[in-house]
Amino acid sequence: MRVNEELFAKVTIAFSFIILGLGGLFGLLQALNRVPFLSMPGVLEVSDSTYYRILTFHGVGLAVAIPIYWITGLTAFVSPRILKLEMDRRLLALSLAMMLAGGVIATITILAGKANVLYTFYAPMKAHPAFYWGAALLILGSWVFTAAFVKQYLQWRRMNPGVGTPIAIYGLLTTFIVWIEATTPLVITVLKDFIPMSMFGKEVDVLETRTWFWFFGHALVYFWLLPVVTMWYYLIPKKLGVQLFSESMAKVAFILFIMASTPVGLHHQFTDPGLAAEYKFMHTILTLIVATPSMLTGFNILATMEKAGRARGGNGLLGWLAKQPWKDPVYLGLVMSLVIFGVGGITGIINASYQLNLVVHNTTWVPGHFHMTVGNVVVIGYTVVTYALLSDLFKKRLVSKTAAYSHILLWTIGLFIFSLAYYYAGLYGAPRRTSNIEYGGLLPSTWVLPMEISAIGAILMFAGGVAAVYAVLGSLLFGNVRGVAIEGMKIGNPSPETTEFNPLLDNLKMWVIFAAILIVVAYIFPFYEIFSRGISPVPPVEAGLS
Amino acid sequence: MANDEGLIYEYVWIVIVASIVAGMAASLAYYGIALDLNPACNATPIDVTTLTEEFQPGVKQIAPGVYQVNILAGQFFWNPNKIVLEDPVRIEFRITSKDVVHGFEIVGTNVNVMVFPGYVAEFVWEPPKDAQGKYLIICHEYCGIGHQYMQAELEIKRSNTLLSQGDITNGSNTEDVGEFSKVKYLKFNGVIVSEG
Repeated sequence: MRVNEELFAKVTIAFSFIILGLGGLFGLLQALNRVPFLSMPGVLEVSDSTYYRILTFHGVGLAVAIPIYWITGLTAFVSPRILKLEMDRRLLALSLAMMLAGGVIATITILAGKANVLYTFYAPMKAHPAFYWGAALLILGSWVFTAAFVKQYLQWRRMNPGVGTPIAIYGLLTTFIVWIEATTPLVITVLKDFIPMSMFGKEVDVLETRTWFWFFGHALVYFWLLPVVTMWYYLIPKKLGVQLFSESMAKVAFILFIMASTPVGLHHQFTDPGLAAEYKFMHTILTLIVATPSMLTGFNILATMEKAGRARGGNGLLGWLAKQPWKDPVYLGLVMSLVIFGVGGITGIINASYQLNLVVHNTTWVPGHFHMTVGNVVVIGYTVVTYALLSDLFKKRLVSKTAAYSHILLWTIGLFIFSLAYYYAGLYGAPRRTSNIEYGGLLPSTWVLPMEISAIGAILMFAGGVAAVYAVLGSLLFGNVRGVAIEGMKIGNPSPETTEFNPLLDNLKMWVIFAAILIVVAYIFPFYEIFSRGISPVPPVEAGLS
Repeated sequence: MANDEGLIYEYVWIVIVASIVAGMAASLAYYGIALDLNPACNATPIDVTTLTEEFQPGVKQIAPGVYQVNILAGQFFWNPNKIVLEDPVRIEFRITSKDVVHGFEIVGTNVNVMVFPGYVAEFVWEPPKDAQGKYLIICHEYCGIGHQYMQAELEIKRSNTLLSQGDITNGSNTEDVGEFSKVKYLKFNGVIVSEG
């Protein structure tokens, strides 16, 4: 079978929603299982080993696999249409084969219970080698896709020297630049430490491997966020029929993402012994800087919305809000994900605020935060953009508009209930990542009610997730016999989508070099500290054994 | 590109954003530098294979109100799992793991430190003066199938509060902190699990 861009996009996007269905079901089971003293014998009994097994899948599947599949699929669809150039199809075929093989291998290993190491797989706990090989194959496959995309872009750049990079392509390039920044340290440590540890019992240093992991771990969040930011910039003005308020401001925001997404990993390691306060503080400041592009984005999108709303006759301070195309589920979902991301982003600033982190580190505050961010952009942002792809890419109708609306509504309400309850319990020290928080009845009473409330939120989220998976997979299966036609992306309309070449903003090569320098400066000191003290390797420990 | 009318809003917003970021950075720097509140913790490498000879878990009082607490973590225990301290002013913790990564949290305080095999985490906690009673200690980093059962208890006993507080404060005013980092944990809403 010959792989072209459309086939690639169809397979990866469909695959990501299958994972979403399974991972979402697991999420519900986890939330119910964590309610103190809620006993569900015979109904929803989750043993401890099952809990950590499905938690591993929930994390790896939803945080790593879905973004990789969905983002590569979106890019394979959008980029050839905007640039009017084919991608290298041999690279596409290779990438698809590697990513699918890697994903399937890792999934089987996790579901077989051979990799109960959670999404962070901290050494020296070890999983079956197939888990690391599967993950490595998935990521290397995404690198092959990145090569195809960059090759296509450079070809376009040579052919269009005086033209500014279209904003959608600019955003997607940013996404993959950040992805390469993020995954390089991960691939280094998986090949150097984890695979030898798992296969040959190599002793590894805990502090060093954690530092490599978080070198990757925070840039990952910008990878999964950036395509949705791109779609805010690209689709919202399009839906409104106006120009983006400021394209140059959007490009500045993307440049800041390229620069500051990666050199911030120590803010996940504030409570790690053996890393000096000075370096942690440096990463704190860089984290605050990476909050600025989000603030610029919020302003730029809201200004675009206001401009369009006023042009349609919305007066007064907030009258323009009523003049928005809320009946379009794609538009509603995009704006909703922007609003929720604002709340999630602010709590991220609290996590990253150095001293304050001690209060919330590894408590339920943290999953409260990242469900507001990744849970939001993945389930609302990715899904509504997929609705837009139904007509353009899959040539299907949306099987149920009711399902599309209930997905956005139920998910948003459920997410707020779940996350606010988790924030609250986190302030009182309730731990995350535990199958059970009863501690033999010694748990503080402040933990009980929020966990009960969070379960209600999780049930609503699950219902919203079911509606989302039904709206997408149902449309793929039945969308040619029934359903309503939905407006696509209308790529190329209005045309042209390009602006004049800006020697500062469109010079991505220069910004990538600056970013690389910043990353080296931010990480050379902590690594110097780790290695100059002398590493202290420890033998691997089988997960789950006592 | 925004028109000229829009451009002024753009610049105003950039100034607002820059001020917010600078303000937050300044307040964190103030707490870190002026009040010496930093999330830092010393780490001394230790050979995990000879741990039992080099590291003795237990509680030792070295001066009035000053304690050294050595804790060994493992799947799925804290040793010691019951710690009783009378009128503590300064507690010097040394914690390490014999197997995988654990997380040391005294619930209701902001004592929150990762525990690694191969390293001894060393930090100081100066508990707030109203800290009293039994505190739950949990493991907050996934460490295996029995992770959720890993717990211990810290009991802080208070004698005649006013008098002894004064004595102890004088006794511990020495700046000799040895190899310990000068970490002071922020006082945070002390949730007391049950009255001692």
